[in-house]
Amino acid sequence: MSDVGTVLSTIISGMLLGGMLALTALGLSIVLGVMRLVNLAHGDFLVVGAYAGLFFLKFTGIDPLLGLPVIALLVAALAVPLYGLLLAPLGERGAEAQMMTMFAVSIILENVFVLAFSADTRSIERDYATLPLTLGSVTVPLIYVIGFAIAVSLILAVHWLISKTRFGRDLRASAADAQAAETLGVDVKRVQMATFALGAACAGVGGTLIGAAFQFGPSSGAAYLLNSLAIVVLGGLGNVLGTLVGGLMLGFLQSLGGLTLGDGYRDLVGMALFLLVLAFRPDGFLARRRS
Amino acid sequence: MKTLSGLAEAGVLLGAFILLWFASDFVDDYGLQIAFRVLIYLTLAESWNLLAGSVGLVSLGTSCFVGLGAYVAFGLLNNIDAPLPLVLLGCALAGGALAALVSPALFRLRGLYFTVGTLALAELLRLTMVNVSAFGGAMGIFMQKDPPPLPELYHYALGVALIASLAITACARTRVSVILRAVRDDEDAAAQMGVRPYRVKLGAFVVASALVAIAGGVQATKLGAIEPYGMFGLQWSIDVLSMVIIGGVGLRLGPLVGALFVVALGEALADYPEAHVAIAGLILIVLIRFAPGGVVGFAETLSSPTRKRATA
Repeated sequence: MSDVGTVLSTIISGMLLGGMLALTALGLSIVLGVMRLVNLAHGDFLVVGAYAGLFFLKFTGIDPLLGLPVIALLVAALAVPLYGLLLAPLGERGAEAQMMTMFAVSIILENVFVLAFSADTRSIERDYATLPLTLGSVTVPLIYVIGFAIAVSLILAVHWLISKTRFGRDLRASAADAQAAETLGVDVKRVQMATFALGAACAGVGGTLIGAAFQFGPSSGAAYLLNSLAIVVLGGLGNVLGTLVGGLMLGFLQSLGGLTLGDGYRDLVGMALFLLVLAFRPDGFLARRRS
Repeated sequence: MKTLSGLAEAGVLLGAFILLWFASDFVDDYGLQIAFRVLIYLTLAESWNLLAGSVGLVSLGTSCFVGLGAYVAFGLLNNIDAPLPLVLLGCALAGGALAALVSPALFRLRGLYFTVGTLALAELLRLTMVNVSAFGGAMGIFMQKDPPPLPELYHYALGVALIASLAITACARTRVSVILRAVRDDEDAAAQMGVRPYRVKLGAFVVASALVAIAGGVQATKLGAIEPYGMFGLQWSIDVLSMVIIGGVGLRLGPLVGALFVVALGEALADYPEAHVAIAGLILIVLIRFAPGGVVGFAETLSSPTRKRATA
């Protein structure tokens, strides 16, 4: 029915989108690694980033992709008091209390979005967003390529931050064994706060990129949260570059699902993958099988 | 309640059940509607407590099993015209079977992904119903028969709530409770003592899911028409979480107090759906932070300040 060019274009578009979402997934992954917390409001942080991009463009007229540092700071600044006021006091009570708190934050944020910005779906309108980029028989939207390039650069930057800097060393120590790290002089609470802010910033920037490529609405967060989780388990928890590979894989498989079964199955493929990977390869596809 | 033995507690439950059974003759339609909702919610909250309170698994997948129960019930009613008790048995079997089927994925990494896995499962089922036309697609399914009269539905809801409450009693007042608590508090130590944590968790998950699926079946029979967005909607999970946290996680009277509170809140804010959810969220945050034992736990500390809190 569809020729090779269309099929290839769809699959490559899907992989570019998966790479874009990998940045958001990375934020989820580092918070999960350091705090043992599945941040159920992570998808809503993404939506905050998308709205931030939208209004940044509206009020300053500057392209939101140039304003990404501002948006990252804004979302991180939102996350810091959330950690300080809500999560840090629950530190001793285990991840469940924190998780339920973030769930409550998520439902509050969703309703705040509806009240403040209405339930309409929106998108960040840029002229170049609709431009196609053609290479041979493959045509993909230019904005996907731009978003993908930005996301990959930022993922590499976070990789450098975690593997080469002092903060990264503290972060890895806290993730491996918080108690031991504390004894050795790492300020674990501070590391957790910085990690939470960094994770939120990843979601926010990812949200601006996705908001430029797609429509979004107040309740878009849930689907992105679940897809990000699928990426995290595909790539393996705690593996930064694995997250990128996980994103590409999810994008590839979702496009394949969409092509063979119909467009409605794209998200379904993400959920099914998440559960299947957990059941059969819980350490991710890249990890060597444990004996 | 603390001093009651298991048998006495079961007796109290049965007594309340018999009294409430005949209450339907004296209450008007509105009262029955409210009572029905409280009973369904009570079932959901008791089931949630069975998982979280006894084996420490926090679920956000209530909607998943409510929806499953609803679709199974309609499938059996519409296709083979099965009698309602048999339909509900079918719901229970389906709920338990699904729980067993997905447990290898959800129990991975010590339940780190359990909460979000149940969320993903609900989304997976919803998208399946939306996309597969045999399940009615996005439009949903109508029940071909007329729904049973309200008093009959009320009696079914009452029966389900009794079963759920008795299940909690069995888990909290018999020797089973020791095993459950051992798994919740320290999986490794429990395993050393010869308990198999995986099986214990699986058992609790299967029973809780079967109960939720029955409640979903009863709810769907009352509605007469179901669609995937409502039956698999996150609202079910939000309400359940609100109930158990308001009532007090793992406390015997928690679900009842929580169910009454959430239904009352829903009635009071029926005209402001957005505010309703946002207020529920705020209540959750405040209670988790300042009163982890919920209303019941708070009352217990007030009445006996020296006694150690049950949730500690």
